[in-house]
Amino acid sequence: MSDFLGHPAVQGGVAPFLAALVCAAVLQYARLGGLAILAGFATVALFLNGFTFSPLTATRKLILLGLAAPALGVLADFVLRDERWIRIVLALLCGAVAPWAFLAVLEQKSAAMGLAYGAGLLAFVAALVALTAQLRADGVRAGAAGLALGLGSGVCAVLAASAVYGLYGIGLGAAAGGFLLVQMVRGKPIAAGWTFTCPAALIAGLIGAGSLMLAALPWYSLPAMLLVPIAARIPAPLSAVWLRAIAVSLYAFVAAAVPAALAWYASRGPDG
Amino acid sequence: MKRLAAFFVAASLPLAATAAPESYTIDPLHTYPQFEVDHLGYSKMRGRFDGTSGKFTIDRQAKTASLELSVPTKTVTTGDEARGPRPRSRDEHLRTPDFLNAAEFPAMTYKATKVSFKGEDPALIEGQLTLLGVTKPVPLKVENWKCGPDPRTKGQKQMCGANATGSIKLTDFGIKFGVPVFIGDELKLWIELEAYKD
Repeated sequence: MSDFLGHPAVQGGVAPFLAALVCAAVLQYARLGGLAILAGFATVALFLNGFTFSPLTATRKLILLGLAAPALGVLADFVLRDERWIRIVLALLCGAVAPWAFLAVLEQKSAAMGLAYGAGLLAFVAALVALTAQLRADGVRAGAAGLALGLGSGVCAVLAASAVYGLYGIGLGAAAGGFLLVQMVRGKPIAAGWTFTCPAALIAGLIGAGSLMLAALPWYSLPAMLLVPIAARIPAPLSAVWLRAIAVSLYAFVAAAVPAALAWYASRGPDG
Repeated sequence: MKRLAAFFVAASLPLAATAAPESYTIDPLHTYPQFEVDHLGYSKMRGRFDGTSGKFTIDRQAKTASLELSVPTKTVTTGDEARGPRPRSRDEHLRTPDFLNAAEFPAMTYKATKVSFKGEDPALIEGQLTLLGVTKPVPLKVENWKCGPDPRTKGQKQMCGANATGSIKLTDFGIKFGVPVFIGDELKLWIELEAYKD
């Protein structure tokens, strides 16, 4: 049993997928199906790190933020008004935590470089959260974007040499896949809201940022990741939910292939 | 009476000099922490770190010593640096958060807390290893301790050398990736150490 649970495919794929599937199926009626992303990410975090946060490394900050983000999402969905300035504040708030997560690495750089990287991370994560949150009214599009963001950031991390960050990304994608599958089987979209889009984008953004700061992801893969939520907005004039989910996922996958291809191209050695 | 006192003071100076603690600076070109870890249960993979720096002091009469080492984690090498057709080499992988997280934790340090002597030579160093922000006690057994003149300088420089061995558990320091399926939890350490007297 321990060999089974210790297998990366279980830790980063099967387990978060099942956790998200059950969570989405149970909580969809309370408009909290978006918490599926939390269930899936918490599962992969439990396997790879456990819920220990000392010393508070960059990876553990990522986990902590990923676990806290759904609370912000629930707050935004159920308490705050859906106004433009609130959306901007929420996206900037998510962006602002990215430099904090990687502060230990930023501090080792020169002041100018540290500021440039910090500002870049903030802008990237804020933009990713803002773009993904625009899909919050459509659970199918949000789920497809989460699926492609998770798998895309995971593949980028693997190409940047970090299998652990790769598993976090793939686990995130698996969780979004569970959320999407419930909608496909049920034939009706589930409310995604900030509850789903905020953690999905924040975690994927931090995985990308971590692959840049701690491994060897080229910086230009990060802005390319912004194509994923943009691609998930492309019209898919199909009535059946399962067909629309497949079509939008394909759009998002094509977009997610761009940062992965850039990472792959940058990683090729002189013999590659 | 004053002359007699001055004589005793002058005569005791060389003794005081030999009894004083001696301070040494680690030679990074002859100090290499090396390690061995089980790979897939089939073989023992070996690697090393370069560029180790540090200091130690020794007082043979008082039988006390201190040791501080700093090892740059990005210098890890297992003989697989070239990527070839692969996205990343094994040494690059070892520097990522999967293992040593060299960008966030550029150095691991070792600080002795107690040194036990056998005769005039250190035999066991009890100390704290700090790796990935985690500090754990790691004892090092000292072998082949030798101090004397550096033959290359015709005795003008004094040096000491030794080999130290120990082991750690990777999971104690938060390294969990691939443990124990792909790599073993126990990592054996060998440290070849040389230092010059200040």
